[in-house]
Amino acid sequence: MKLFNYLLKIDRRIIYIVVGLLVMFPLVKPLGLGVTSGPRARTLFEAIDAVPAGKTILISVDFDPSSMPELYPMLTAVMRHAFAKNLKVLLCGLWVTGAGLADKAATEIPPEYGKKYGEDVVFLGWKAGVDAVILGMGENIKNVYPVDYYGKPLDSLPMMNTVKQLRDIPIVFAISAGTPGYQDWLLYAQSRYGMRVGAGVTAVSAADAYPYLQSGQMTGLLAGMKGGAEYEVLVQKAGYSKAYMPAVAAMDSQSLAHVVILLLVIVGNVAYFATRKRGA
Amino acid sequence: MKRSIPLAICLIMGIAMMIQFFVPHPASVAFYDLTTKWVRIVAAFALVLGTGSLVMYHVDKLQRRRRGWYYSIVTLTAAAATSVIGLGWGVRPGSPLQDIIFSNLLVPLNSSMFAILAFYMASAAYRAFRARTKEAALLLVAAFVVMLGMVPIGANVPFFWFLVVMAGALIVAGLVTRSKALFIGTGALVVGLLVWLAFSGFKVPRLMLPDTAEWVLSVPNMAAKRAILFGIALGGIATSLKVILGIERGWLGGGKQ
Repeated sequence: MKLFNYLLKIDRRIIYIVVGLLVMFPLVKPLGLGVTSGPRARTLFEAIDAVPAGKTILISVDFDPSSMPELYPMLTAVMRHAFAKNLKVLLCGLWVTGAGLADKAATEIPPEYGKKYGEDVVFLGWKAGVDAVILGMGENIKNVYPVDYYGKPLDSLPMMNTVKQLRDIPIVFAISAGTPGYQDWLLYAQSRYGMRVGAGVTAVSAADAYPYLQSGQMTGLLAGMKGGAEYEVLVQKAGYSKAYMPAVAAMDSQSLAHVVILLLVIVGNVAYFATRKRGA
Repeated sequence: MKRSIPLAICLIMGIAMMIQFFVPHPASVAFYDLTTKWVRIVAAFALVLGTGSLVMYHVDKLQRRRRGWYYSIVTLTAAAATSVIGLGWGVRPGSPLQDIIFSNLLVPLNSSMFAILAFYMASAAYRAFRARTKEAALLLVAAFVVMLGMVPIGANVPFFWFLVVMAGALIVAGLVTRSKALFIGTGALVVGLLVWLAFSGFKVPRLMLPDTAEWVLSVPNMAAKRAILFGIALGGIATSLKVILGIERGWLGGGKQ
């Protein structure tokens, strides 16, 4: 009885220490649990893989640094896949705080594949307006973005000679941590311009995306860090990249965090029922 | 007049945009192109309004010394510093806004905020996630299935063995708590497992934990989500019509005619 009462009143700092240690341990000494790619990640991978070389894919960076550990690995994995397939990558963002993250990816990833800014990758930056931005890009990208994120006129970038409007782009991959995000791309780019839309979302918002996936409106879904890890594995298995896989490395930590939360819930429930029964 | 003109603009533009969607004529496309430009300009003004509203709210909080007023100093100082640096040195890569404010302040602060959620969630789950009712118990089991099924550690676990472990845990919990409800629930689970085993020819059924998690997400979750989405969509259409036709006038704000 004493034990159950103690368990119910356990100091939250003890829980924090247990969780902290279990999350950190696999980062220091990986458990190598491995990641198996699911059908949703494979659908997106196959859709991007099927885009003919030389074509452009659009990646919308709609997240901020708070979701960076979960979503940034998706961005790098998809960019590596695209460059390995000789696709061009057009980056834009509906979140102003995501611009710095897209800039980081646009600066760091292309050199790994010998790709050049302006020829193989362009970052448009952020513009206010969300739906008006997407609809405007559907008619003429240069009307919405006369210059790119770095202030260069779009007319001066060779890649933009072949990409005038959304219809010139076969697929958009929207990485979203909330609103605005993939739903806006579905609503305007997919329904009006017939673009295929794939999405990468945080694990907590994945359930919201499932109906679009089942209805066929969405082409593939990467859900949370696991989704990023699945895509990283697909890209490496196909021989497109040998880079470090941050999402795969973090999955061991996430596994242990989930297990410890489940154990805590079980212990908490046992203690609750034991004290309630005896107290009744 | 203050109300009639905005209402008339709303009615005309609402109907015009609805008709425009179905008319592919060049004049219609040009009109659409023009209006999307207007929307982008209006959206930029909304940022000014938002900033003004934020400043007014926090200045008022400071003046009235309301609870947590000192946090308003942080908010206002951060907003002012960011604005001055952005306006003074620009927002391009390499500027102090990008290097100091974004990379060295916003990224680590935001990441830290998100990272500590794991600790709060663990603590909150321990304290609040109780099987107090049948519905809560069902939610608990579904959460267990999805949480384990979605991480590599649960990838190779058969659902049958997961349920056996659950039954074992329930038996221990029943012995400890001597709860009649727990014994009945455990008994039903054990009988169900035996029936399932018999139907599988006394071989462990092949259904894996990730498949079950997938089913939870794809069937019951999706049914609920879809119902919510339909409700939101129908509500959105109804509200839009009410706004266009001038029945709903809340967007005009208060004030006299």
